[in-house]
Amino acid sequence: MNPDEPILDADDAALLDDESPPAMRERVCRLLSQQPYGVLCVQGGGQPYGALVAYAFSEDLRHLVFTTPVTTRKYRLLSESAQVAFVVDSRSGETDDLMELEAVTATGRAHLINRGGEFEHWAELLVRRHTYLKSFVSAASCALFRIDVVRFLHVVRFQEVRQWIPADQS
Amino acid sequence: MDSSRPVLIPLHAVEARHEPIVGGKAAKLSQLARAGFTVPRGVCLTTWAYESFVDDADIVNTIRMELGRKSLDEMRWEEIWDAALRIRAAFMSQPLSDSLQSTIAEVLSAFDSSTPLAVRSSAIGEDSADRSFAGLHESIIGVRRTNAVRDAVRLVWASLWSDAALLYRKELGLDPARSRMAVLIQEMVDDDRSGVAFARDPREPRTEHAIIESVPGPCSLLVDGMVDPDRWEIHRKTRSVIAWRPGQREGSNDDGPLLEPRDLEKILETLLSVEQLFPWAPDIEWTGRSETLTVLQARPITTVAPEEDDKRSWYLSLRPSDLRLRDLRKRVSEQLIPELEALGQALAAEQLDPLDDEQLAQAIRARADSVAEWKMIYWDEFIPFAHGVRRLGTYYNDAVKPDDPYEFVGLLRDQPLLAAQRNRAIAVLAQQLGSHDSVRAAVERLLREHAGSMKWVDFRRELLQIEDVAAGFVEGFERLSERFLDVTYDDERLYDQPEPLLWNIVELSRLPDRRPQSSRASGESASVLQQRLLDAVGPERHEEAQHVLETGRVSWKLRDDDNLLVARLQSQLLRALSVAASRLRDRGQLGDEGKPNASHVEPLVQALRVPNAAPIVLAPHTAATKSNPLPTAQGESARQLIGQPASPGLATGTVRCIRGRDALSKFRRGEILVCDAIEPTMTHLVPLASAIVERRGGMLIHGSIIARELGIPCVNGVRNAADVLKDGDFVTVDGHLGIVTVGAAEFDLERDF
Repeated sequence: MNPDEPILDADDAALLDDESPPAMRERVCRLLSQQPYGVLCVQGGGQPYGALVAYAFSEDLRHLVFTTPVTTRKYRLLSESAQVAFVVDSRSGETDDLMELEAVTATGRAHLINRGGEFEHWAELLVRRHTYLKSFVSAASCALFRIDVVRFLHVVRFQEVRQWIPADQS
Repeated sequence: MDSSRPVLIPLHAVEARHEPIVGGKAAKLSQLARAGFTVPRGVCLTTWAYESFVDDADIVNTIRMELGRKSLDEMRWEEIWDAALRIRAAFMSQPLSDSLQSTIAEVLSAFDSSTPLAVRSSAIGEDSADRSFAGLHESIIGVRRTNAVRDAVRLVWASLWSDAALLYRKELGLDPARSRMAVLIQEMVDDDRSGVAFARDPREPRTEHAIIESVPGPCSLLVDGMVDPDRWEIHRKTRSVIAWRPGQREGSNDDGPLLEPRDLEKILETLLSVEQLFPWAPDIEWTGRSETLTVLQARPITTVAPEEDDKRSWYLSLRPSDLRLRDLRKRVSEQLIPELEALGQALAAEQLDPLDDEQLAQAIRARADSVAEWKMIYWDEFIPFAHGVRRLGTYYNDAVKPDDPYEFVGLLRDQPLLAAQRNRAIAVLAQQLGSHDSVRAAVERLLREHAGSMKWVDFRRELLQIEDVAAGFVEGFERLSERFLDVTYDDERLYDQPEPLLWNIVELSRLPDRRPQSSRASGESASVLQQRLLDAVGPERHEEAQHVLETGRVSWKLRDDDNLLVARLQSQLLRALSVAASRLRDRGQLGDEGKPNASHVEPLVQALRVPNAAPIVLAPHTAATKSNPLPTAQGESARQLIGQPASPGLATGTVRCIRGRDALSKFRRGEILVCDAIEPTMTHLVPLASAIVERRGGMLIHGSIIARELGIPCVNGVRNAADVLKDGDFVTVDGHLGIVTVGAAEFDLERDF
């Protein structure tokens, strides 16, 4: 586990212990597949900040990738602190039944991917999912970030929360 | 194939229930075929194919991004063309899936490989009885190879979002999520006679007159306006010819009518039979003679005249064929521009002071008439010819399929534009000042002393008294004025107002030498792009490509020059009006100190002709700058504005809004130039600017092209740019993405770039 990752406060929600990895993995994977946009949560100087972004994810669910112009607040805050959360939920789906809504919060660290090296790989992953971002990603004033996910928290039935640490899967 | 979602339906198998997936054109042709009319063999690629392609390629979001940047109602035609070009590039850059490639191979197997094909749009809802939108979508003829068919299909799909279609988006009900396009692929049938025919005269539908038009050769010659047709009016009942007008075609007018009476009889009979089949009076496209008549298309006659203030039909006429562009190029470059240039020079050389009042009145009237006449020519010929550069853009993109749909702009580099020549002359003067600090100091001091009321003759005298080495500068500035400042800006003569330009030259003289002068180092040269185009089209189309290229270049050059040359006529009109005003003022016939402008022609001419009339007063000049501030609540302010990424780069600086001539003087190097539109007469400011933000949008407008040439970031098409941004605002301009961020920069320019 990443030593920077805060320990979950068990009072925050009804925290059930680890479910068997495949079931949780499938749920997370399904929700991430269904929802092309998520809320990136960053911080700086004690001030949290959230922004809706288009994203893609790696097959092993250990990484999320997104892009942002370097002129934005979120870029500056990411430069100050790499610790982020990323929230994806099913509000835009067919149901508005509170008990059926699902959300996943990923926590981890965001890394700026410099051009060259693995940039192409992550850019392609993002553009494959969001074709319209092709020129955006290649623009010199855009930065590409990869979030290395430490933990997923999956919420369903209003307060039922499970956590999953992808690195723990064998 | 999923039978509930057929991708391919042979034309002969199309049924009425298929219309929602094959479109109106295909449905009607199929109905005609079933009723026994001869129509060319064909296959329909249904809307399911379109849907499969746009889903695979995620094109819906691209369309949404293009059309959602700002309301289409607020977009200028140039911006709509840009959006359509980028959508077109998105369609063309995405490969067809294996499944769609197999489908097209299946289509081709239905035809003899030597038969040229027509790949035609068949939009859903197009050509219904109450709406006819002919010509908004693409049809590509003479297509032969598999790759060409694949390209043609994508072009037809993309044309659902053509600039023309976007103009009529409300009538068409265009919606990125729901709109679909079907494609009809037919073998081409071209006889030695073709034409169009109307069951009723579209201009007078209540009469019993049918109209038949015919050209020698394929119907496309008539539809594209390339050949003037013979035209008959025929009585529907008596079947007698009421009138025949021969087409104006070189060398063919003595040959008699193109069609025999039996041909006319057959076409009329066909028209009336088609009318029986449908609940509307048809117009048809046809080819062949009495024995071989083939119906190419049938649709309801459009009788509704466009509303008077609806200029969209005029815009649609601005898409001349290659042939028409070639004619225009010859006429504009060889006749009109030299005439316009010569007229400007002649007027500038004319001595006005010795003229008596009547002669001066006549000179003013003649100049006003010339301005009016050339403005008409500007709309009727210069603007249509400006399409040449757009034609070059789509031609290049279709052939080369570049990642950047504006790569072709590199082909326009190094054109000897008047504005570029003027800017070079200004740069030379700035260099002179830069290498003579004492002259620059003297110029600056005099500009401050004379601020707001400078007269060149006084300035010149005083400058030479202080610094005799300034003679070279004075001489150069006078040459520059004679050659390039005889134009109007904001309804005033720049020639009479040297102050702003002198300030600009002082500022330009301070530019560091190492400042990047051009983006050419990173861009590809025109010759590389030209070779890429020639390689892409292949040797058999080199001549055609050269024509399109040359026409595009001339179109671009003249599109810029014509503005300056017409502005020179306006300047010469103002010169004559100023002479009249000065004369009348001296005699007490002019009751104010106001400057005359083009709206004062009549009162000044009258006053010259009636010397004893009461003194007149000139209505004050009102700046034409549009102001339309956005309503904002207290505490609300703009943080990020979006527009078109017109020239790449990233810059920060303080805003200087250019509203009228006075603001030109205040512009300082390093500022962000914010304006309604960069006029050809103010492009010399661009090298001083860190970045440009314009309300007027377009990738091919002056500001964009010059900014790209100089490597200066530019974002244009920013809604209310000059109203939202104020002098002194600190902004970041991102020309890569088309974003203007208001407030302190969120990034460290030095560290990140």
